[in-house]
Amino acid sequence: MPTLANYLIASGLLFAVGLGGVMLRRSIIVIFMSLEMMLSAANLSLVAFSRYGLINGHQNYDAQILVFFIITVAAAEVAVGLAIIVSLYRARQTTHVEDLDTLKF
Amino acid sequence: MHLSLIAWITLIVPLVAAALILLVTRTNKPLAAGLAILSSLLVFIGAWILFLGHTDADYLGFNWIDLGKNFSIPFGLAIEPLSRTMLVIVASIAPLVFIFSLGYMKDEEGYWRYFAGLALFLFSMLGIVMADNLVMIYIFWELVGVSSYILIGHYFRKDSAADAAKQAFLVNRIGDFGFMLGILFIWLATHSITFSAINSSASNLSNLGLAIGVVLIFCGTVGKSAQFPLHVWLPNSMEGPTPVSSLLHAATMVAAGVYLLTRIFPLLAASPDASEIVVWIGAITALGAGFLAIGQDDIKGILAYSTISQLGYMVAGAGLAVSAALPMFHLFTHAFFKCLLFLSAGSVILGMHHEQNIWKMGGLKNKMPLTFLAYMAGMLALSGCPGLSGSFSKDLIMAHAWEHHQAIFWVLVAGAALTPFYMARQASVVFFGSPRSEHAKHAHESPLVMVLPLFLLALPAIGAGWPFFKHIFFPETIGTLEEPDHLPHFVELIFLGAFVLGIALAFALYRNPAKDPLRIPLLTNRFYIDAIYDWAVANIQGGFARVCSFFDRWFINGILVQGSASAIWFLGFCLRFLQVGNLQAYAFFFGAGVLGLIYVLFTVH
Amino acid sequence: MSPLLLLILLPLFASLFIAVGANARRTALGAAFLNLILSIFLFARYDLHAGGWQFVSEWHVVPRLGINLILGADGLTLCMLLLSTLVTFSALWVAPKIEKQEGLYYIALLFISAGVIGAFSSLDVLFLYSFHELALIPTFLLIGIWGSGDRQAAAWKATIYLGTGSFVLLIGLLALYISMPAGVRTFDLRQMTDLAATGHWNTSSPVIYLLLLIGFGTLVSLFPFHSWAPPAYASAPAPAAMLHAGVLKKFGLYGLIRIALPLFPPAVHDFFNPLLLILIIGNIGYIGYVTVAQKRLDWTIGYSSVMHMGYIFLGLAAFSPLAIHGLLGLNGAALLMFAHGLSVAAAFALCGEIRQRTGTLDYAELGGLAKSVPVLGLLFGFVAMASVGLPGFANFAGEILVFFGATAALPSTGYLMMITIIIGVWGVVVSAIYMLRAYRNIFWGPIAARWESLADISPTALYSVVLLLIPLMIAGFYPQFILKMVATLLPQ
Repeated sequence: MPTLANYLIASGLLFAVGLGGVMLRRSIIVIFMSLEMMLSAANLSLVAFSRYGLINGHQNYDAQILVFFIITVAAAEVAVGLAIIVSLYRARQTTHVEDLDTLKF
Repeated sequence: MHLSLIAWITLIVPLVAAALILLVTRTNKPLAAGLAILSSLLVFIGAWILFLGHTDADYLGFNWIDLGKNFSIPFGLAIEPLSRTMLVIVASIAPLVFIFSLGYMKDEEGYWRYFAGLALFLFSMLGIVMADNLVMIYIFWELVGVSSYILIGHYFRKDSAADAAKQAFLVNRIGDFGFMLGILFIWLATHSITFSAINSSASNLSNLGLAIGVVLIFCGTVGKSAQFPLHVWLPNSMEGPTPVSSLLHAATMVAAGVYLLTRIFPLLAASPDASEIVVWIGAITALGAGFLAIGQDDIKGILAYSTISQLGYMVAGAGLAVSAALPMFHLFTHAFFKCLLFLSAGSVILGMHHEQNIWKMGGLKNKMPLTFLAYMAGMLALSGCPGLSGSFSKDLIMAHAWEHHQAIFWVLVAGAALTPFYMARQASVVFFGSPRSEHAKHAHESPLVMVLPLFLLALPAIGAGWPFFKHIFFPETIGTLEEPDHLPHFVELIFLGAFVLGIALAFALYRNPAKDPLRIPLLTNRFYIDAIYDWAVANIQGGFARVCSFFDRWFINGILVQGSASAIWFLGFCLRFLQVGNLQAYAFFFGAGVLGLIYVLFTVH
Repeated sequence: MSPLLLLILLPLFASLFIAVGANARRTALGAAFLNLILSIFLFARYDLHAGGWQFVSEWHVVPRLGINLILGADGLTLCMLLLSTLVTFSALWVAPKIEKQEGLYYIALLFISAGVIGAFSSLDVLFLYSFHELALIPTFLLIGIWGSGDRQAAAWKATIYLGTGSFVLLIGLLALYISMPAGVRTFDLRQMTDLAATGHWNTSSPVIYLLLLIGFGTLVSLFPFHSWAPPAYASAPAPAAMLHAGVLKKFGLYGLIRIALPLFPPAVHDFFNPLLLILIIGNIGYIGYVTVAQKRLDWTIGYSSVMHMGYIFLGLAAFSPLAIHGLLGLNGAALLMFAHGLSVAAAFALCGEIRQRTGTLDYAELGGLAKSVPVLGLLFGFVAMASVGLPGFANFAGEILVFFGATAALPSTGYLMMITIIIGVWGVVVSAIYMLRAYRNIFWGPIAARWESLADISPTALYSVVLLLIPLMIAGFYPQFILKMVATLLPQ
């Protein structure tokens, strides 16, 4: 039987992969995808807590409600973020994050 | 009319005249002179009414500063024998000098400035004479200082006059530094500033306190009466027009220092330490200035040093602490004959077309006989010719010195031998012999408006010392003017001998010389005191000022202010380097920060 | 309509009119003239028998925190208001023709005036502080845009330095507020004074006192926080220098008198007295000699105004509410504030006139000007004599009261006070040294050919300076007219 710990480890690994992607990838679209992966990891751990973390013997559905909030927010954020990326590409003709350094000292 | 009203009107009239001259008469010469002379005549009338009124009173005008019963500075006029006598001295000489100025300044420019300054001076001098408390006398003390500054600087386009005026004001201020400290000290000790109150509380002060208070106030005298070491301004003040020299810097203003001493005479007499200091400074000044007068070639310069020397006699007379009348008597006679001498010098200068070097003069007794006669009256009086006013007052001081302080006696006698010497030198070079220049050959007598005051002054110069006048102007209430008891006869012979010796020596040396047979650099360079002061001001004061300025600019401003600004700039410069421009680096910093925060939150309980 | 509010609003309304296009100079002069008349009227109408705060009006802002706009005046306030309106009118009158952005220039001057009037008449400590800040920013504009010499550096330095001082002051004021007992916290000065008097409020914290001293002291150029003053005044246009040195600087002293002196127990005053005396010696003795070393008129007057602040501080240092003569020095300080404000404003006005004509203020280059500009020379002579403490001008009366007050405090303060008094009296000599040197080097001596044909002072400038000199001489001849107002200053 999978326990809570298994799900949390899976979630953690997923989060780490996402974090790695944000830190290490050059393409801003890939960074965005990794960001989504981090959010999914958070969703996974929330669902696991909802399934395994019983309150007074009953299952608690509060975390599952929060998952829906997070999915909505992520969707909105992606919409805005992709719009920014598109105008950024139009302004700078690049999607490589290393090329965006005009705010350097 | 009530006497108090007369006293106040006498004081205020010259101030009103000065204000009117300033505001209204800048282009109207006769009006300016007229206002000034009118005010001096009104003062003359008022002063004599007060003198003959024989009423002693303290007329309180108003409280200049009134902070309740705990502190107030009154403005009051003290009419008492001492101030009444001083009042008639000032009020009688002033109109004569003002009228003389009509002739002397006829063709000068800045006419209105001159008469406004004279009127302001008259107001201030009357204030000094009639002030009933220390603060009030200090106020008027400063005001005569500024009148002197305006008048010495009359010919301000000349560098020498501009510098002389500045020097006079500053040196007087140094004396006033001590004076003000003395006022504060005496107030702290006695909680009063009126003369009547402090003079009666001499016994409340300790010996040391009394000495300190008197010496501090004496500093004011040292400055105003040009005593050593603050004497350097008086010879330079001769840059002013000659009537100014005669009124301010001979007869009245410089005498104010002596007057101050007599006003606090009970305190001075109660402090042997202070009297000792006072009498020695007076004597040193008397002798030293006598020497310096010998080396002067300017007709006014000789008289300036002579004034310093005679002021030394007065100060020494006060320091003998015998009676307040002793120095005042000499002040009285000196005012007349010194003013006379200066005015005759002015007459000579005008006749010589403003040439002041005595070696360009000569033989003037034939060209300017009236001036010569007046001058001789003054010269003999100053030199101590028996029977004339000067000898009475000067000999009396020396007689009391014999009685109380022999060392001082010999110093003063030496000075009494120098006085006829340098005066006879001046007389013989200027008036006797033959003319030494074109100006001297064509010199002419001065107009009546100038000669009349000379003769009016010659009368008291001759007779002011006679017992009749002595008793009128110096009643016993001021102090005793009797000869000391048991004065040996040879002392009087010493006085006569000094007079004769000085005159004889001078006539022997200075019978019609072409140039000065006596050239002593130490004397012509004023004992180098002036040079030392100039050096000290430029280097010590200037140096200290430059050090302070450097410290302010480079340390306080440079290191502390600019330095802290630079430090902050540097901090900003360092923090800049966090902005690496790399998005992922920022994300990394963010993540690291969050981890750190979590760590802190979990380890701090 | 509260008369004090009117005093503040008139300049602000005038600024509004100027901003929408009215004639800048005339509008500003009109408002300043009305202010002057109003302040003279208030001065005369103050009820001396009743004393205390009069013409009080109150508007609630945040009552729960004790922040309200409260305006009121007692004798000292009215003297300061009279000073402010006199100097404002004179400064606006003497302002030369402005080429660029004339409207902004006059608006800035009017804002300074409004700020200063608000600061003096405010009985709420927070508004006292805020009005001062309102007056500070326009000086930045005035120095930076219309100044001369190294104006931008001077503007930055002065504003940031004064801003830092204000910041320290703010911390002190907030700390004072927080130190009040929890239920009665207020910024109302009257309630603060009453609370301190009843003893429920423990105000013996030396830290707060020190913060206030340093904060207010920086605003008044107390040694060693004085470096902003000389370059700021040298670079500022004459009207700005007149308002700043003449009026704005006095705000710090006013604040100390209103806040620091009544609210703290004598023990705290005595604790800091030695420090204050040493700083005063710095102001009078050290800065005095720095002034002697200056070779330009604007720097001389700037440093001299720093030096004279030392005398006012001496009057404050001699404060002792319980002693018989404990308030002497304070009365002298108040009189000196009035006198110095007028005399330094007149000095800067004339300095500006000289600079306009010759383009230089260097002693080495000037000389003999009395021949071509005699009236200017005569006026400057009067101002120089006032500044040197000649009797007949109010400066002397103030200084002598300060000296007497300090002497009265001698038995309780010892040798340091004695040394300070001696240096203070010597400072009178030092001020004569540099002032007479300035006068002699600028106006006397032979005249250089290039200065022969200068135009003498215009009637406008003449009357503006005379407007300042006349009250100075009235107060000099009869100091009671100021002292009777100031004597209502309440001790504990």
